[in-house]
Amino acid sequence: MTSATKPSPMPPRFRRLLAVALVLAVPAMPLAAHHSFAMFDPGRPMTFQATVKTLQWTAPHAILWVQAGPVGGYDAGLWSLELPTSPGNLSKMGWSRTVLKPGDKVVVDINPMRDGRRAGQFKKARIVATGKVLGIGTIPGTQPPK
Amino acid sequence: MRPASRLLPLLALAIACPAIAQRASDRVDPAPTAADWQAIARLPDWSGTWSPDIVDQNAQIRTNPTPWKPDIQRQVDHWTAEEAAGRPKGLLIDCLPHGTPTFILITHNALEILFSPGRVTILGESDGNRLRRIHTDGRAMPADPDPSFHGYSVGHWDGSTLVVDTKGILPQVYLAVSEAVGIPNNGDMRVKERIHLVDPDTLAFDLEIDAPRVLTRPWKTTRLYHRKRQRSHEIVEGVCRQGDFRDATDARGNAIFAPAYQQDGNILPAPNEK
Repeated sequence: MTSATKPSPMPPRFRRLLAVALVLAVPAMPLAAHHSFAMFDPGRPMTFQATVKTLQWTAPHAILWVQAGPVGGYDAGLWSLELPTSPGNLSKMGWSRTVLKPGDKVVVDINPMRDGRRAGQFKKARIVATGKVLGIGTIPGTQPPK
Repeated sequence: MRPASRLLPLLALAIACPAIAQRASDRVDPAPTAADWQAIARLPDWSGTWSPDIVDQNAQIRTNPTPWKPDIQRQVDHWTAEEAAGRPKGLLIDCLPHGTPTFILITHNALEILFSPGRVTILGESDGNRLRRIHTDGRAMPADPDPSFHGYSVGHWDGSTLVVDTKGILPQVYLAVSEAVGIPNNGDMRVKERIHLVDPDTLAFDLEIDAPRVLTRPWKTTRLYHRKRQRSHEIVEGVCRQGDFRDATDARGNAIFAPAYQQDGNILPAPNEK
Protein backbone atom coordinates (compact mmCIF):
# COMPACT_ATOMS: atom_id res chain seq x y z
CA MET A 1 0.00 0.00 0.00
CA THR A 2 1.32 3.38 -0.73
CA SER A 3 -0.83 5.70 1.23
CA ALA A 4 -3.79 5.94 3.46
CA THR A 5 -5.54 9.19 3.55
CA LYS A 6 -8.27 9.86 5.98
CA PRO A 7 -9.73 13.33 5.90
CA SER A 8 -8.07 15.28 8.63
CA PRO A 9 -10.30 16.70 11.33
CA MET A 10 -7.91 19.60 11.74
CA PRO A 11 -8.55 22.92 9.98
CA PRO A 12 -6.16 23.32 7.05
CA ARG A 13 -4.76 26.57 8.40
CA PHE A 14 -3.79 24.95 11.68
CA ARG A 15 -2.33 22.04 9.80
CA ARG A 16 -0.16 24.42 7.81
CA LEU A 17 1.01 26.12 10.97
CA LEU A 18 1.90 22.81 12.50
CA ALA A 19 3.73 21.77 9.40
CA VAL A 20 5.80 24.92 9.52
CA ALA A 21 6.39 24.81 13.23
CA LEU A 22 7.38 21.21 13.31
CA VAL A 23 9.41 20.99 10.53
CA LEU A 24 10.67 19.48 9.16
CA ALA A 25 9.99 18.36 5.71
CA VAL A 26 13.07 19.94 4.23
CA PRO A 27 14.73 17.76 1.62
CA ALA A 28 16.69 15.24 3.57
CA MET A 29 20.44 15.26 3.36
CA PRO A 30 22.38 12.50 5.01
CA LEU A 31 22.87 13.56 8.58
CA ALA A 32 24.43 10.55 10.13
CA ALA A 33 25.78 11.57 13.48
CA HIS A 34 27.22 8.21 14.33
CA HIS A 35 27.49 6.06 11.24
CA SER A 36 27.07 6.30 7.51
CA PHE A 37 23.61 5.71 6.07
CA ALA A 38 24.92 4.06 2.91
CA MET A 39 23.43 0.71 3.96
CA PHE A 40 20.03 2.16 3.09
CA ASP A 41 18.97 2.29 -0.55
CA PRO A 42 17.81 5.73 -1.73
CA GLY A 43 17.06 4.14 -5.12
CA ARG A 44 14.14 2.13 -3.70
CA PRO A 45 12.16 4.62 -1.63
CA MET A 46 9.05 3.17 0.00
CA THR A 47 5.88 4.68 1.40
CA PHE A 48 3.48 2.62 3.47
CA GLN A 49 1.01 2.81 6.29
CA ALA A 50 1.99 1.44 9.67
CA THR A 51 1.16 1.58 13.35
CA VAL A 52 3.63 3.07 15.80
CA LYS A 53 4.90 0.58 18.36
CA THR A 54 7.28 2.99 20.04
CA LEU A 55 9.54 5.94 19.38
CA GLN A 56 12.86 4.84 20.89
CA TRP A 57 14.21 8.19 22.07
CA THR A 58 17.85 7.24 22.55
CA ALA A 59 21.31 8.26 21.44
CA PRO A 60 23.12 7.93 19.19
CA HIS A 61 20.16 7.68 16.78
CA ALA A 62 16.49 7.59 17.70
CA ILE A 63 14.51 4.73 16.18
CA LEU A 64 10.84 4.59 15.19
CA TRP A 65 9.45 1.06 15.57
CA VAL A 66 6.32 0.41 13.53
CA GLN A 67 4.10 -2.56 12.70
CA ALA A 68 3.08 -2.86 9.07
CA GLY A 69 1.11 -5.24 6.94
CA PRO A 70 2.61 -6.87 3.86
CA VAL A 71 4.29 -4.22 1.73
CA GLY A 72 6.30 -4.63 -1.44
CA GLY A 73 7.97 -8.01 -1.13
CA TYR A 74 8.06 -7.83 2.66
CA ASP A 75 6.00 -9.91 5.04
CA ALA A 76 3.86 -8.20 7.62
CA GLY A 77 5.80 -7.41 10.77
CA LEU A 78 7.85 -5.05 12.85
CA TRP A 79 10.12 -2.49 11.20
CA SER A 80 12.93 -0.45 12.75
CA LEU A 81 13.19 2.94 11.08
CA GLU A 82 16.35 4.76 12.03
CA LEU A 83 16.30 8.51 12.44
CA PRO A 84 19.45 10.32 11.37
CA THR A 85 20.61 11.68 14.67
CA SER A 86 20.30 11.92 18.43
CA PRO A 87 17.43 13.12 20.60
CA GLY A 88 19.58 16.20 21.33
CA ASN A 89 19.70 17.18 17.67
CA LEU A 90 16.12 16.05 16.93
CA SER A 91 14.86 18.32 19.71
CA LYS A 92 16.37 21.28 17.88
CA MET A 93 14.29 20.27 14.83
CA GLY A 94 11.08 20.39 16.82
CA TRP A 95 10.80 16.70 17.67
CA SER A 96 10.11 15.35 21.14
CA ARG A 97 9.81 11.87 22.60
CA THR A 98 6.01 12.23 22.67
CA VAL A 99 5.48 13.53 19.14
CA LEU A 100 4.57 9.98 18.05
CA LYS A 101 2.70 7.69 20.41
CA PRO A 102 2.14 3.94 20.46
CA GLY A 103 -0.89 3.13 18.36
CA ASP A 104 -0.63 6.19 16.11
CA LYS A 105 -1.40 5.30 12.51
CA VAL A 106 1.25 6.81 10.28
CA VAL A 107 2.24 6.84 6.65
CA VAL A 108 6.02 6.58 6.54
CA ASP A 109 8.52 7.41 3.82
CA ILE A 110 11.71 5.39 4.13
CA ASN A 111 14.75 4.12 2.29
CA PRO A 112 14.90 0.37 3.02
CA MET A 113 17.98 -1.61 3.99
CA ARG A 114 19.71 -2.93 0.89
CA ASP A 115 19.71 -6.52 2.15
CA GLY A 116 15.98 -6.96 2.44
CA ARG A 117 15.63 -6.91 6.20
CA ARG A 118 12.60 -5.07 7.63
CA ALA A 119 14.48 -1.92 8.50
CA GLY A 120 15.00 1.42 6.93
CA GLN A 121 16.15 5.00 7.06
CA PHE A 122 13.33 7.20 8.29
CA LYS A 123 12.59 10.13 6.01
CA LYS A 124 9.10 11.34 6.85
CA ALA A 125 5.96 10.34 8.70
CA ARG A 126 2.45 11.69 8.38
CA ILE A 127 0.13 11.06 11.30
CA VAL A 128 -3.08 9.87 9.68
CA ALA A 129 -5.41 11.24 12.35
CA THR A 130 -4.07 14.78 12.30
CA GLY A 131 -2.23 15.18 9.02
CA LYS A 132 0.80 16.37 10.95
CA VAL A 133 3.99 15.71 9.03
CA LEU A 134 7.24 14.90 10.78
CA GLY A 135 10.32 15.17 8.63
CA ILE A 136 14.01 15.62 8.98
CA GLY A 137 15.80 18.85 8.28
CA THR A 138 19.34 19.92 8.71
CA ILE A 139 20.47 20.18 12.30
CA PRO A 140 19.92 23.80 13.28
CA GLY A 141 23.15 25.37 14.39
CA THR A 142 25.36 23.06 12.41
CA GLN A 143 25.33 25.45 9.49
CA PRO A 144 26.58 29.03 9.38
CA PRO A 145 24.08 31.50 10.82
CA LYS A 146 21.96 33.13 8.12
CA MET B 1 64.86 8.41 69.47
CA ARG B 2 67.60 9.61 67.12
CA PRO B 3 66.40 11.18 63.84
CA ALA B 4 67.54 8.26 61.66
CA SER B 5 65.74 5.72 63.77
CA ARG B 6 62.67 7.91 63.71
CA LEU B 7 62.54 7.44 59.93
CA LEU B 8 62.98 3.69 60.10
CA PRO B 9 59.31 2.81 60.57
CA LEU B 10 58.39 5.10 57.65
CA LEU B 11 61.07 3.54 55.48
CA ALA B 12 59.83 0.06 56.35
CA LEU B 13 56.29 1.11 55.44
CA ALA B 14 57.48 2.61 52.15
CA ILE B 15 59.24 -0.60 51.22
CA ALA B 16 56.20 -2.64 52.16
CA CYS B 17 53.85 -0.38 50.26
CA PRO B 18 55.29 1.14 47.08
CA ALA B 19 52.20 3.29 46.53
CA ILE B 20 52.99 5.27 49.67
CA ALA B 21 56.59 5.78 48.60
CA GLN B 22 55.32 7.09 45.26
CA ARG B 23 53.09 9.62 46.92
CA ALA B 24 56.15 11.43 48.21
CA SER B 25 56.47 12.86 44.67
CA ASP B 26 52.73 13.36 44.12
CA ARG B 27 52.35 17.09 43.75
CA VAL B 28 49.42 18.59 45.60
CA ASP B 29 47.73 21.47 43.82
CA PRO B 30 46.71 24.34 46.10
CA ALA B 31 43.07 25.32 46.28
CA PRO B 32 42.16 27.97 43.72
CA THR B 33 42.11 31.49 45.05
CA ALA B 34 39.68 34.31 44.32
CA ALA B 35 42.35 35.73 42.04
CA ASP B 36 42.42 32.45 40.09
CA TRP B 37 38.66 32.70 39.49
CA GLN B 38 38.94 36.40 38.62
CA ALA B 39 41.54 35.52 36.00
CA ILE B 40 38.94 33.35 34.29
CA ALA B 41 36.69 36.38 33.91
CA ARG B 42 39.38 37.95 31.73
CA LEU B 43 39.43 35.02 29.31
CA PRO B 44 37.39 35.23 26.09
CA ASP B 45 33.74 34.31 26.43
CA TRP B 46 33.27 30.79 25.04
CA SER B 47 30.01 30.10 26.87
CA GLY B 48 26.99 28.63 25.12
CA THR B 49 26.71 25.58 22.90
CA TRP B 50 28.95 25.15 19.87
CA SER B 51 27.54 23.35 16.83
CA PRO B 52 29.90 22.04 14.16
CA ASP B 53 29.76 23.59 10.70
CA ILE B 54 29.13 20.40 8.74
CA VAL B 55 29.13 22.13 5.36
CA ASP B 56 32.61 23.43 6.11
CA GLN B 57 33.73 20.02 7.44
CA ASN B 58 32.88 18.50 4.08
CA ALA B 59 34.46 21.40 2.17
CA GLN B 60 37.67 21.01 4.17
CA ILE B 61 37.90 17.33 3.28
CA ARG B 62 37.39 18.14 -0.41
CA THR B 63 39.69 21.15 -0.66
CA ASN B 64 42.35 20.22 1.87
CA PRO B 65 42.52 16.45 1.76
CA THR B 66 44.36 14.37 4.30
CA PRO B 67 47.95 13.73 3.12
CA TRP B 68 47.75 9.96 3.51
CA LYS B 69 50.80 7.84 2.74
CA PRO B 70 50.33 5.95 -0.55
CA ASP B 71 49.62 2.57 1.07
CA ILE B 72 47.22 4.19 3.54
CA GLN B 73 45.53 6.06 0.67
CA ARG B 74 44.76 2.68 -0.89
CA GLN B 75 42.95 1.65 2.30
CA VAL B 76 41.09 4.98 2.36
CA ASP B 77 40.06 4.50 -1.28
CA HIS B 78 38.79 1.02 -0.42
CA TRP B 79 36.58 2.23 2.43
CA THR B 80 35.37 5.18 0.36
CA ALA B 81 34.34 2.75 -2.39
CA GLU B 82 32.71 0.42 0.11
CA GLU B 83 30.56 3.26 1.42
CA ALA B 84 29.65 4.31 -2.13
CA ALA B 85 28.61 0.71 -2.77
CA GLY B 86 26.28 0.71 0.24
CA ARG B 87 28.59 -1.20 2.55
CA PRO B 88 29.84 1.50 4.93
CA LYS B 89 32.39 0.58 7.56
CA GLY B 90 30.96 1.60 10.91
CA LEU B 91 33.98 3.20 12.53
CA LEU B 92 32.08 4.33 15.59
CA ILE B 93 29.31 1.81 16.03
CA ASP B 94 31.11 0.15 18.93
CA CYS B 95 30.49 3.38 20.87
CA LEU B 96 34.13 3.78 21.83
CA PRO B 97 35.16 7.45 21.82
CA HIS B 98 36.11 9.16 18.57
CA GLY B 99 39.25 10.32 20.36
CA THR B 100 41.51 13.22 19.46
CA PRO B 101 41.43 14.72 16.86
CA THR B 102 38.54 12.86 15.16
CA PHE B 103 36.03 14.15 17.72
CA ILE B 104 36.80 17.71 16.62
CA LEU B 105 37.17 16.79 12.92
CA ILE B 106 33.93 14.95 12.13
CA THR B 107 31.40 15.29 14.93
CA HIS B 108 27.85 16.25 13.95
CA ASN B 109 26.97 17.01 17.54
CA ALA B 110 27.43 20.10 19.63
CA LEU B 111 30.08 20.67 22.27
CA GLU B 112 30.53 22.99 25.22
CA ILE B 113 33.67 24.38 26.79
CA LEU B 114 34.12 24.94 30.51
CA PHE B 115 36.81 27.05 32.17
CA SER B 116 37.99 26.43 35.70
CA PRO B 117 41.27 27.37 37.40
CA GLY B 118 44.06 25.49 35.65
CA ARG B 119 41.73 23.60 33.32
CA VAL B 120 39.73 23.84 30.14
CA THR B 121 37.21 21.02 29.70
CA ILE B 122 35.51 20.19 26.42
CA LEU B 123 32.32 18.15 26.64
CA GLY B 124 30.58 16.75 23.59
CA GLU B 125 26.94 15.90 23.04
CA SER B 126 25.60 12.41 22.46
CA ASP B 127 28.31 10.40 24.12
CA GLY B 128 29.28 10.60 27.74
CA ASN B 129 32.72 9.72 26.48
CA ARG B 130 33.34 12.85 24.40
CA LEU B 131 35.39 14.54 27.08
CA ARG B 132 38.69 16.37 26.86
CA ARG B 133 40.64 17.70 29.82
CA ILE B 134 43.17 20.36 28.87
CA HIS B 135 45.55 21.34 31.66
CA THR B 136 46.27 25.06 31.62
CA ASP B 137 48.08 25.24 34.96
CA GLY B 138 51.53 25.50 33.44
CA ARG B 139 52.49 21.87 33.85
CA ALA B 140 54.85 20.29 31.38
CA MET B 141 53.77 17.56 28.99
CA PRO B 142 54.67 14.26 30.67
CA ALA B 143 57.43 12.39 28.89
CA ASP B 144 55.36 9.26 28.36
CA PRO B 145 51.70 9.72 29.26
CA ASP B 146 49.51 6.62 29.50
CA PRO B 147 47.81 6.20 26.11
CA SER B 148 44.15 7.22 26.05
CA PHE B 149 41.47 8.03 23.49
CA HIS B 150 41.76 11.78 23.91
CA GLY B 151 45.42 11.79 24.87
CA TYR B 152 47.11 14.02 27.41
CA SER B 153 46.58 17.71 26.71
CA VAL B 154 48.42 20.72 28.06
CA GLY B 155 47.46 24.21 27.00
CA HIS B 156 48.19 27.86 27.52
CA TRP B 157 46.64 31.13 26.50
CA ASP B 158 48.34 33.16 23.80
CA GLY B 159 46.24 36.31 24.10
CA SER B 160 42.72 35.13 23.41
CA THR B 161 43.84 31.93 21.67
CA LEU B 162 44.03 28.65 23.54
CA VAL B 163 47.11 26.76 22.38
CA VAL B 164 46.86 23.02 23.03
CA ASP B 165 49.37 20.23 22.64
CA THR B 166 48.16 16.61 22.84
CA LYS B 167 50.04 13.32 22.82
CA GLY B 168 49.61 9.90 24.36
CA ILE B 169 46.77 9.01 21.98
CA LEU B 170 45.98 5.30 21.61
CA PRO B 171 47.24 3.89 18.28
CA GLN B 172 43.79 2.43 17.60
CA VAL B 173 42.17 5.88 17.57
CA TYR B 174 40.94 6.58 14.06
CA LEU B 175 42.08 9.51 12.05
CA ALA B 176 38.74 9.81 10.28
CA VAL B 177 37.25 11.96 7.56
CA SER B 178 33.73 10.58 8.04
CA GLU B 179 31.86 7.99 10.09
CA ALA B 180 32.71 5.42 7.42
CA VAL B 181 36.21 6.39 6.31
CA GLY B 182 39.13 6.51 8.69
CA ILE B 183 42.37 4.72 9.52
CA PRO B 184 43.87 3.99 12.95
CA ASN B 185 46.66 6.48 13.60
CA ASN B 186 48.87 3.49 14.50
CA GLY B 187 50.85 5.38 17.12
CA ASP B 188 53.04 8.42 17.77
CA MET B 189 50.33 10.90 16.80
CA ARG B 190 50.64 14.40 18.19
CA VAL B 191 48.05 17.10 17.74
CA LYS B 192 48.57 20.82 18.10
CA GLU B 193 45.59 23.14 18.19
CA ARG B 194 44.99 26.87 18.24
CA ILE B 195 41.41 27.51 19.34
CA HIS B 196 40.10 31.03 18.87
CA LEU B 197 37.08 33.12 17.92
CA VAL B 198 37.03 34.27 14.31
CA ASP B 199 33.89 36.35 14.86
CA PRO B 200 31.77 36.85 17.96
CA ASP B 201 29.92 33.55 17.52
CA THR B 202 32.27 31.38 15.49
CA LEU B 203 35.03 29.36 17.08
CA ALA B 204 37.86 27.96 14.97
CA PHE B 205 39.96 24.94 15.84
CA ASP B 206 43.16 25.27 13.79
CA LEU B 207 44.65 21.78 13.95
CA GLU B 208 48.07 20.48 13.04
CA ILE B 209 47.95 16.69 13.07
CA ASP B 210 51.27 14.92 13.06
CA ALA B 211 50.58 11.22 12.53
CA PRO B 212 53.87 9.97 11.10
CA ARG B 213 52.73 6.38 10.63
CA VAL B 214 49.87 7.26 8.28
CA LEU B 215 50.56 10.77 6.92
CA THR B 216 53.32 12.02 4.63
CA ARG B 217 53.46 15.32 6.51
CA PRO B 218 51.65 17.09 9.35
CA TRP B 219 48.11 17.94 8.19
CA LYS B 220 46.90 21.44 8.91
CA THR B 221 43.16 21.84 8.82
CA THR B 222 40.48 23.96 10.47
CA ARG B 223 37.08 23.16 11.91
CA LEU B 224 34.44 25.78 12.68
CA TYR B 225 31.80 25.73 15.39
CA HIS B 226 28.86 28.15 15.64
CA ARG B 227 27.58 29.43 18.96
CA LYS B 228 23.98 28.93 20.02
CA ARG B 229 22.57 30.34 23.22
CA GLN B 230 18.98 29.11 22.91
CA ARG B 231 17.97 26.63 25.58
CA SER B 232 16.79 24.28 22.84
CA HIS B 233 20.47 23.88 21.98
CA GLU B 234 21.60 22.99 25.48
CA ILE B 235 23.44 19.71 25.47
CA VAL B 236 21.42 16.81 26.80
CA GLU B 237 22.58 13.43 28.01
CA GLY B 238 23.14 10.99 25.20
CA VAL B 239 24.58 7.66 26.19
CA CYS B 240 25.88 5.97 23.06
CA ARG B 241 25.36 2.40 24.27
CA GLN B 242 21.78 3.03 25.31
CA GLY B 243 20.96 2.53 21.66
CA ASP B 244 22.17 -1.07 21.97
CA PHE B 245 19.24 -1.87 24.25
CA ARG B 246 15.46 -1.86 24.15
CA ASP B 247 13.11 -1.14 27.01
CA ALA B 248 11.85 -4.33 28.57
CA THR B 249 10.31 -5.73 31.74
CA ASP B 250 11.79 -8.63 33.67
CA ALA B 251 9.87 -11.53 35.21
CA ARG B 252 9.44 -9.58 38.46
CA GLY B 253 8.00 -6.58 36.69
CA ASN B 254 11.11 -4.40 36.88
CA ALA B 255 11.95 -1.97 34.11
CA ILE B 256 15.16 -3.15 32.48
CA PHE B 257 17.27 -2.70 29.38
CA ALA B 258 17.35 -5.82 27.20
CA PRO B 259 20.03 -6.16 24.52
CA ALA B 260 18.69 -5.16 21.13
CA TYR B 261 19.10 -7.43 18.15
CA GLN B 262 21.48 -5.77 15.75
CA GLN B 263 23.75 -6.38 12.83
CA ASP B 264 26.41 -4.07 11.42
CA GLY B 265 25.32 -1.30 13.74
CA ASN B 266 21.68 -1.45 12.70
CA ILE B 267 19.09 -2.07 15.38
CA LEU B 268 16.65 -4.53 13.84
CA PRO B 269 13.60 -6.55 14.73
CA ALA B 270 14.82 -9.92 16.02
CA PRO B 271 14.55 -12.72 13.42
CA ASN B 272 11.58 -14.30 15.20
CA GLU B 273 9.97 -11.00 16.16
CA LYS B 274 6.59 -10.33 14.57
